[in-house]
Amino acid sequence: MKVHVKAFATFREVMDNQIDMDFPKGASIRELLDELTGRYGGLGNLIFAAPDTLRDFVNILKNGRNVYFLAGLDTPLDDEDVIALFPPVAGG
Amino acid sequence: MMSKEQKERYRRQIAVFGEEGQEKIGNTRLLIAGAGGLGSTAALFAAMAGFGTIRIIDPDYIEETNLNRQLLYRESDIGKPKGGTAAKALHALNSSIDVEPVFAAIGTAPVQDLIRDMDVVIDGLDNYLARFLLADAAWQCGKPFIHGAVEGFYGQVCTIIPPTFPCLRCVVPNPPPVRETPIIGVTTGVIGCVQVTEAIKLATGTGLPISDHLWLWDGIRQKSDRLMIERIPTCHVCGKD
Repeated sequence: MKVHVKAFATFREVMDNQIDMDFPKGASIRELLDELTGRYGGLGNLIFAAPDTLRDFVNILKNGRNVYFLAGLDTPLDDEDVIALFPPVAGG
Repeated sequence: MMSKEQKERYRRQIAVFGEEGQEKIGNTRLLIAGAGGLGSTAALFAAMAGFGTIRIIDPDYIEETNLNRQLLYRESDIGKPKGGTAAKALHALNSSIDVEPVFAAIGTAPVQDLIRDMDVVIDGLDNYLARFLLADAAWQCGKPFIHGAVEGFYGQVCTIIPPTFPCLRCVVPNPPPVRETPIIGVTTGVIGCVQVTEAIKLATGTGLPISDHLWLWDGIRQKSDRLMIERIPTCHVCGKD
């Protein structure tokens, strides 16, 4: 199945803005992040505080819904999902 | 009714939204929280547009490091309170509007008291602790809250309109930690202007607000994106469950 991944703000400094990825049925956000951190060297340290633990400010949205309120890293992927990786900015 | 002088002053924008639209802007009371990079940009353009009342809140004094982005202040203002200095600059620009400086931090005064008699709130704050206090109070008072934030070349805007759209806690459920954020003046300029554009749209009833999505600005690539946002069903501010 095909999944569309979009990166925003400072995440764009370590990965492509937008990529399409293929996953087997049953894959989850965890597999997606494994694939991304393998592909982009600087991404792992940026988004993970420890293995399997996202940094607090990392927002991952599946079709506009934050996976934190779905099943976290175990949130399943579906065909044609749009996954957004979004670090909110804070300054004023 | 607008005076002859006001009709002349606003002639070029009356051509955009008519005398009725200009009067609506003049009758709109705008709260700007924070008189820093975003707040001073928003206040400047709001004063130029003719918002009738601008209440600007900030607890800080002007420092040298503010001058790369906080466009209401001059070198001679270093050491002065931001709110009062901003009010003088705005009044010099447009003497026909009311500007109310408030020397206070969000959270030290009852927040709803600052909002209740205003029509629209603009977020010029620099941390999410204060933003959530203000946004929650705006939600409870039923007032639109125009969120903005920046870092480096990046910025974001969302207009929170209760009770229809998701609240700020749904837009940013996992905020970044408090720290000294890298900022350049051009980014606060872009984002502050987008926030006032939203305020003008709300006041005049023009177009649709940025409300079911977060508008993201990328100054490196000169590109904007929309990130669709859904309400979190369990949200304690706006959730229905």
